[in-house]
Amino acid sequence: MITCIHCDENVLTAFFNEADVERKNPFCCQGCLTVHHVIHQKGLASYYEIKNQAGLYKRRSPVELKSLEFKYLDQAEFLEDFSHLNPEGKRVMEFYLEGIHCLACLWLIEKIPEFLNSVQTSKLDLERSVVTVILKDRGLFSDVARELNNLGYRPHPLKKNQEAADFKIKEERASLIRIGVAGAAAGNIMIYAVSLYGGAGAEFSYLFNNLTVIFAIPVLTYSAFPFYQTAWYALRNRTLSIDIPISIALIVGAIMGIYNMLTGVPENYFDSLTALVFLLLLSRYFLHRIQEKGLSATDLQYFYQSESILVKNEMTGLFQEVHSRFLKVGDEIKIKAGEFIPVDGEILRGHSYVNNSLLTGESAPIKVDIGARVFSGTQNLNDELIIRADKVQRDTRLGHILKNVENGWAHRSQIVTIANRVSKYFTAAVFILSIILFIKLSLSGSFEHALEQAITLLIVTCPCALALAIPLTFTRSLSRASQQGIIIKSDEVLEKLAKVKNVFLDKTGTLTYGQLKVINFRQHGVCNTSLIDIIFSLENRSHHPVAKALIHFVLPSQPLQLKVEDYQERVGHGVEGRINGDLFKINRQGVFQNHKLLATFEVEDVLRPDSIQALRGLQNQGLEIKVLSGDKQSIVTKIVTEAGLSPYSAVSEIGPEEKADLIHQTSHSVMVGDGANDAIALGKADVGVAVLGAMDISLRAADVYLTTPGLVPVERLVVLSKETMKVIRRNLILSILYNSLSVGAAFSGLINPLVAAIIMPLSSLTVLISTLIGTKKMRSLWKS
Amino acid sequence: MEVIVILLPLALLLGLFFIGAFIWSARKGQYDDLETPRFRMLLDDQKINTSNPTSIKDGK
Repeated sequence: MITCIHCDENVLTAFFNEADVERKNPFCCQGCLTVHHVIHQKGLASYYEIKNQAGLYKRRSPVELKSLEFKYLDQAEFLEDFSHLNPEGKRVMEFYLEGIHCLACLWLIEKIPEFLNSVQTSKLDLERSVVTVILKDRGLFSDVARELNNLGYRPHPLKKNQEAADFKIKEERASLIRIGVAGAAAGNIMIYAVSLYGGAGAEFSYLFNNLTVIFAIPVLTYSAFPFYQTAWYALRNRTLSIDIPISIALIVGAIMGIYNMLTGVPENYFDSLTALVFLLLLSRYFLHRIQEKGLSATDLQYFYQSESILVKNEMTGLFQEVHSRFLKVGDEIKIKAGEFIPVDGEILRGHSYVNNSLLTGESAPIKVDIGARVFSGTQNLNDELIIRADKVQRDTRLGHILKNVENGWAHRSQIVTIANRVSKYFTAAVFILSIILFIKLSLSGSFEHALEQAITLLIVTCPCALALAIPLTFTRSLSRASQQGIIIKSDEVLEKLAKVKNVFLDKTGTLTYGQLKVINFRQHGVCNTSLIDIIFSLENRSHHPVAKALIHFVLPSQPLQLKVEDYQERVGHGVEGRINGDLFKINRQGVFQNHKLLATFEVEDVLRPDSIQALRGLQNQGLEIKVLSGDKQSIVTKIVTEAGLSPYSAVSEIGPEEKADLIHQTSHSVMVGDGANDAIALGKADVGVAVLGAMDISLRAADVYLTTPGLVPVERLVVLSKETMKVIRRNLILSILYNSLSVGAAFSGLINPLVAAIIMPLSSLTVLISTLIGTKKMRSLWKS
Repeated sequence: MEVIVILLPLALLLGLFFIGAFIWSARKGQYDDLETPRFRMLLDDQKINTSNPTSIKDGK
């Protein structure tokens, strides 16, 4: 098999450079060839050495070249919004780069300052595929963007709320420092605690005890601050939080330890408590990081579509690039074939087909002519259109949906997580038990001893094992999911998913491919040129869905590009052109040679083959499945029956709001969809799942984003959530068991700091092992 | 056991020094990106040679 030397993609028909007479360097496409040439011209050939030595970091694909000017990057109002000045007064902008995949990309991107004089530094974040470019005084971002584009990485400028970003970075650094301080202090305390338990001499025991108190103070005040904060918010809002019992244990432990130090008793619980703070902070940090990763992955997608728009300049009458955020009402814009329309407006010139499926769910392309209205978020399929914008940004139909989605978010019910729910009983039980113990002991003995024992009980029954295990379980399941291409925005989603009873599916793009496929291809006549080559050569240039389906159909047979003369594509009449002197025509009726029928075919949006199995899997989980679609009833019913569902589970010809209403009325629901027409529904459902290729707007509305196609991930997601909750419940039981044990010990007067130092870590260790075993089982589940 | 009078403060000072170093590096943003640096260190610092571009033919 030949592979492209630039992108390593397998190639059927290789491209070669004209100078490459020996045909040593095959390429998969013109894009890769051009980029290869650019890289060599700039003396960057080491790129290929590095690439071949380094493993892949991310999936990659052939370069899709598009010549863009990026002039809009230099406009003052754009710079104001998208870039900022660093402390040295240099302009900084961030770009999301398409096509970043390995170490060699890192090398290439960070070499930019060496061949582009106007750039001071360019630094790449490989994980996020984001490059931060700092310009020299007179540099232009458009130069940088063009250079990046020529190297095969299409840049998308990122708008950044600098204040928010700075704040986030500060917070993240602070939480790291908290963890570091807690870890260091806990480690030092442990050294002294061990020598105390080992029976350090009198003069040392006093010193060591005081040292542990000194070390514990920053941990219990500075490091543990987030616990107190959450507990305080929870108390003030009269809600529950597992941080309340933790804070109680920490505060009570601190008071007791300091009191003991002052009265000269070398006894405290700081070794257990500081280690607990350290581990809790660490587990929460991991969970936070993995959630952040999911969030930023979906955030970035938002910048993908149509950012550079050609707008007619009133003064000169010429079209120039403007960023889509700066479009105004009355602007005349030019939309090429294949591009997305960024505004609602009226067509001034041109006629074409428009794909509305993302906005309305309708799968058939719609013919549009001069005077017709087109909407933001739809795709222009055939021909160049000139459109006058009459509604832009938030006033467009898409903008209204977006507003609706955001409102939905605000009104969405927050669930009380299992950890917080349990903490209610935990706290109550521990308090009651402490009081009982205090009364019991003070009746039979000294008041002081009773108080001490009651306090000890409060400390040792702190639900640390639980508070540690729950975030770790979620972290493991979230990362497991993200390895499988399922990005989950928060841990609560898993809890909600485990309770789900109803699944609503969108038809187009979810159950089906969302693209037309050729079926029933029949040859009727013979022709001296290969039919496959004719279809390929004629349909190659068209963006029409039928053309794409045909190209897809002939591609496996390795077609050749023939010379086409008098090529014409007319809306509603297909394509035609002369090949070897004969007039060929392809339209819905079939393929014609000089008006003689050669072949007929049908196109249809077909069911994904894995859908049937995935649906059965979901039904086996006890879920009720319903298919919602904006498409015609006959089409929907056909697909639904093919998928092995009853025709009654199909709801067709419904709009975005009706979908949302239907879901709103159903409790414990999941919605799976992709288009803007699903966005409100995704937001209204208990859990919204956006599938691969979904629009930015539905990504924002959804809780889960699938980066692999089809419904199989949805089934896995449900299984994963159920397994996760099972592990969490088991940990719950284990930690309650341990706490009962320590309550028993406290009541029989057996507990002291040494016993606590053994029981508390041991309980944490048990739940951690239980978590690891549980999530390991999840992994084997994925394989089957 | 008198040696502990020297060793103990020494251990404490050492510990404090490393906590300080950690705080400094965290504030400087050395932990902001945990992914890229492990790749970046593998790349050599050689300058690119822009004056002598390689032609397509000898590119491998």
